[in-house]
Amino acid sequence: MDTNHNRPHYINPYLGGVLLGLLVLLTVYITGRGLGASGAVKSTVVTTAKIITPAKAEHNAYMKKFISPDHSPMYNWLIFESLGIFFGGLLSGILFGRVKKFRIEKSPKITNKTRLLAALAGGILFGIGSQFGRGCTSGAALSGSATFAFGGVLVMLAIFGTGYILAWFFRKLWI
Amino acid sequence: MKEELFASGRHIPHIDPYLNIWHWPIALYLFLGGLAAGILFFAGYFVVKGKEKEMPATVKWATIIAPLALVIGLSALFYDLHHKLYFWRLYTTIRLSSPMSWGAWTLMVITPLSFVWVASYMKEMFPKWDWKLEILNKFERWVIKNRVPFAWIMMILSIILGVYTGILLSAFNARPLWNTSILGPLFLTSGLSTGLAAIMWISKSEQERKVISRIDLILILVELFLIIHLFMGFLAGTAVKQEAAALFLGGEFTVTFWVFVVILGLAFPATLEALELRGYHVPKWLPPFLILFGGLAFRFIMVEAGQITRFLY
Repeated sequence: MDTNHNRPHYINPYLGGVLLGLLVLLTVYITGRGLGASGAVKSTVVTTAKIITPAKAEHNAYMKKFISPDHSPMYNWLIFESLGIFFGGLLSGILFGRVKKFRIEKSPKITNKTRLLAALAGGILFGIGSQFGRGCTSGAALSGSATFAFGGVLVMLAIFGTGYILAWFFRKLWI
Repeated sequence: MKEELFASGRHIPHIDPYLNIWHWPIALYLFLGGLAAGILFFAGYFVVKGKEKEMPATVKWATIIAPLALVIGLSALFYDLHHKLYFWRLYTTIRLSSPMSWGAWTLMVITPLSFVWVASYMKEMFPKWDWKLEILNKFERWVIKNRVPFAWIMMILSIILGVYTGILLSAFNARPLWNTSILGPLFLTSGLSTGLAAIMWISKSEQERKVISRIDLILILVELFLIIHLFMGFLAGTAVKQEAAALFLGGEFTVTFWVFVVILGLAFPATLEALELRGYHVPKWLPPFLILFGGLAFRFIMVEAGQITRFLY
């Protein structure tokens, strides 16, 4: 048996970037709009709130925009796109030998708990940031700058610039 | 006495224009019936082929699921009945032209048979097992001696059970989506495939999983072929049939059907199984989980969508 596909390997970042750009073009061609992911999280949050505290969710100025009597907030293209990202990512992981036992990727010097808490905190901050910035890396930065939107370029600089500056302080979570 | 007066034959609450009487218990029952049929069919098949030793999960361990699935499924069916106390009337007659009669009698035989099958392996699976009564031990010896004829009966009955879960719907000629002869084979294939998925999930033997995976891949391809055929048949049919197909081709069931049933429930697990057979490392639970989920979603969608389809007027 060929064991080559059991060795994890990653795509060349430059090639990955070009492919991602082509993906945005293809998405615009097929769906008439760009990529996005934070919207799926938003739909999930609204749906959860609607199930747990329906009255509060319907009176919340932000959430009520996404609640309709006709269909669930989950019936949204972003949800299906995110399912595609999950299963597509999994398929890629299998093909390139990155799927093994369930594991948490981190620096060996920190505990799983630290890593998970840091990831949760990062996720929350990114969620808040994506709502202020009206979109996440894929929605605002990638799809936005692909249309030459100034806001998209600003978001791109903000996300990657801040990441570049702050990475040094958080490097111990990884290396 | 409660009387209801119908001024028009076309507006009967819960029946016309839309049927609104079959909900989750029916979909769940159709799924569990198909699952049990699939498990029992392959248990019988490998015993008849004399491959009992190589296929322990298929012949022994997975069959524990079958009686459980049948009991839960039948309970759901019973829960759905409006006049529960009259269910026994199905057993006062045999009607060859009625799928419900076929199903009722098949279940009447296959349910106890599934218990007997599992019971005959209890001592092999749990060495400390003891039946306590001599008569039970004697019965067990008799079953073990006659296992091959039992396996044949089980295979034949499980095919009837699997087909019947689809024919039950297709006999409804007032509902265009259901009224197609493809539904019987389609439900049978899907049931066999979910049965294999359950076996695959349980099996610990690499060799057994490979055999099961190969058969499952073929079944998934057959299922995809039948689904394409189903829609081709609808689109080449009358206006009511085209309207039924439209629910899945741009209508309200399009996304749920194609995403959850066809892509995530059939195409994706088939890809994963094919990769696994070629030596790639795939999480063991993932393909069976997706197949079972797809099978369940398929029944929910078919039951739900079928009740919406109707004759035009």
